[in-house]
Amino acid sequence: MRSRISRGLVFTTLCLIGVSTVYPLVFMAVNSMRTTQAFELNPFGLPTHLSLSSYSALFSTVPFFQSILHSLFVVVPAVILATFASSLAAFVFTKVPIKLGNVLFWTMLMIMFMPGIVVLLPLYVEVARTGLANNFAPAIFIYTAINIPYGTYLLRSNFRAIPDSVVEAARVDGASWFKIFLRVILPIGKPGIITVGILTFLNIWNDLFISLVLLHAPNTEMVTPTLAQLSGKYTSNIPVLMAGLLLGALPTLILYFATARVFIRGMLSGAVR
Amino acid sequence: MSRKSRPATVRSTSLQATPLERTRRKRNIFSYVALLPAALLVLGLMVLPIGATVWHSFTNWDGVNSTFIGLKNFELIFHNPIIYQVLLNSLIFLISVPLILVASLIAAVLVYEKVLGWRVFRFLFFIPMVLSPVIVGVLFSTFFLPGGAVDQVLRVFGLGNFSWLGNPWSARVVVILALVWASFGFGMVVLLSAMSTVDTALYDAAAIDGASWWRRLRSITIPMISGSLQFLSVINVIYTFTSLFAFVYVITAGGPGFSTTTVDYYTYITTFENGQFGYGAALALLLFLIVLTLTIAQVKLFPNREVQQGS
Repeated sequence: MRSRISRGLVFTTLCLIGVSTVYPLVFMAVNSMRTTQAFELNPFGLPTHLSLSSYSALFSTVPFFQSILHSLFVVVPAVILATFASSLAAFVFTKVPIKLGNVLFWTMLMIMFMPGIVVLLPLYVEVARTGLANNFAPAIFIYTAINIPYGTYLLRSNFRAIPDSVVEAARVDGASWFKIFLRVILPIGKPGIITVGILTFLNIWNDLFISLVLLHAPNTEMVTPTLAQLSGKYTSNIPVLMAGLLLGALPTLILYFATARVFIRGMLSGAVR
Repeated sequence: MSRKSRPATVRSTSLQATPLERTRRKRNIFSYVALLPAALLVLGLMVLPIGATVWHSFTNWDGVNSTFIGLKNFELIFHNPIIYQVLLNSLIFLISVPLILVASLIAAVLVYEKVLGWRVFRFLFFIPMVLSPVIVGVLFSTFFLPGGAVDQVLRVFGLGNFSWLGNPWSARVVVILALVWASFGFGMVVLLSAMSTVDTALYDAAAIDGASWWRRLRSITIPMISGSLQFLSVINVIYTFTSLFAFVYVITAGGPGFSTTTVDYYTYITTFENGQFGYGAALALLLFLIVLTLTIAQVKLFPNREVQQGS
């Protein structure tokens, strides 16, 4: 692959794939600012004049802004709880001697591969029976629990890379295990923990199934079910739909753009498996 | 265990025998306390529910009352013609797995060439991965609406409006395309991470021997990352069976007819829309057994050190 032609070919192919991943974002942005008539005439190309009427139409027909808040309200505590619990568990599995540690870890791994519906079905019934349907608390804890096995799995391989000698040195200095976790493991493992935190955020924010089942009342609905239903109501009005999609994607896109450096490095360092 | 406690031993011998025991006990208490949050949540909100699902798969359960009916649910499942259609759909959707692997491999290999702007490409290829399946699904269904973006492109070639989502096979194609587009970024990252561990001396030696680019790809890169390819294959097979729900929900709602209904989507309908919880539990369990069988089959088919070590 030294010749100029083949490098040019590689570059062109990369550009084509790149266009395929970026174009949908452009499509959403551009068409959210077109009127319906303008969209039907020409869905491609640049809009001749920008109109924000789709956005006002979006906000006046569905409680879109609230749905974003509901999502944040569920996702943020769940991400913090899940990442914290996973970090502690991964620390125990890698650095603290514990009886049956491996058995516990592999049990967790088995549970990780369980289809979501196996878990959610009785939980849904229980939540409805105890009158907690459309309550944020069960959703937060269920999302937390479901993301713990994967987080623990990822962080275990991450913490393994931290030399045992560092932990031993701290032990010799008389540090308690909890102190070692706070002062040694968290700072050294920070890139991995952040990566896992971002992955967990994406998992929960982007999920449809659990939010659809647990939070279906208009005053608790999260953003993905809102978007999914929007597509049913507005297939005739694509610009409104695109406005919703873009705003719904914005939090994850911002998170990705802002953390890409750490996140991509974390993913590449084998944090994903 | 003993290796780690040695420094503490040295220290405590200068004092007494009891502090050592105290550290050991304390250490154990710590490990249980530290595991408690994870263990409680996983036990209460995953293990117990799994047990409940297993139990209720043998009952007639409407969400309030349940009566034990033995294997009746499973009998009903196997006498339900829709189940066979749904299983067939999931098998058809498995076509996406090799497509995802090939797309991920192409992206990873090309990025690894490190041509101008390769970091930017790596950054861009990851965008679909951060979007919700709901967003990807709605986008794709918009593109494939009659008279939508795809039809307008095809019009240039003299092809008329086509009801992509109204026809079983083309509807499946749309779902598969959306899935491949959404998934290749993750595959690329996994493969890139594996490729970065390949010793570059191998490539240098091959280049000296005059091996072509294709030859090096086939004989060095692919064998060296086969463990990661297998990992991706396992993950994506599981995903195809258990996580197409959101794509199907927004793109086709399972239609036309049941031609794009997957097992997880069908379980959702029977359980949460029709309220047949016992039957749904049996279906969910069946889904788990299928996934388990396919995972074991793949691990056995490609005996590979990496996956077995669970690294």
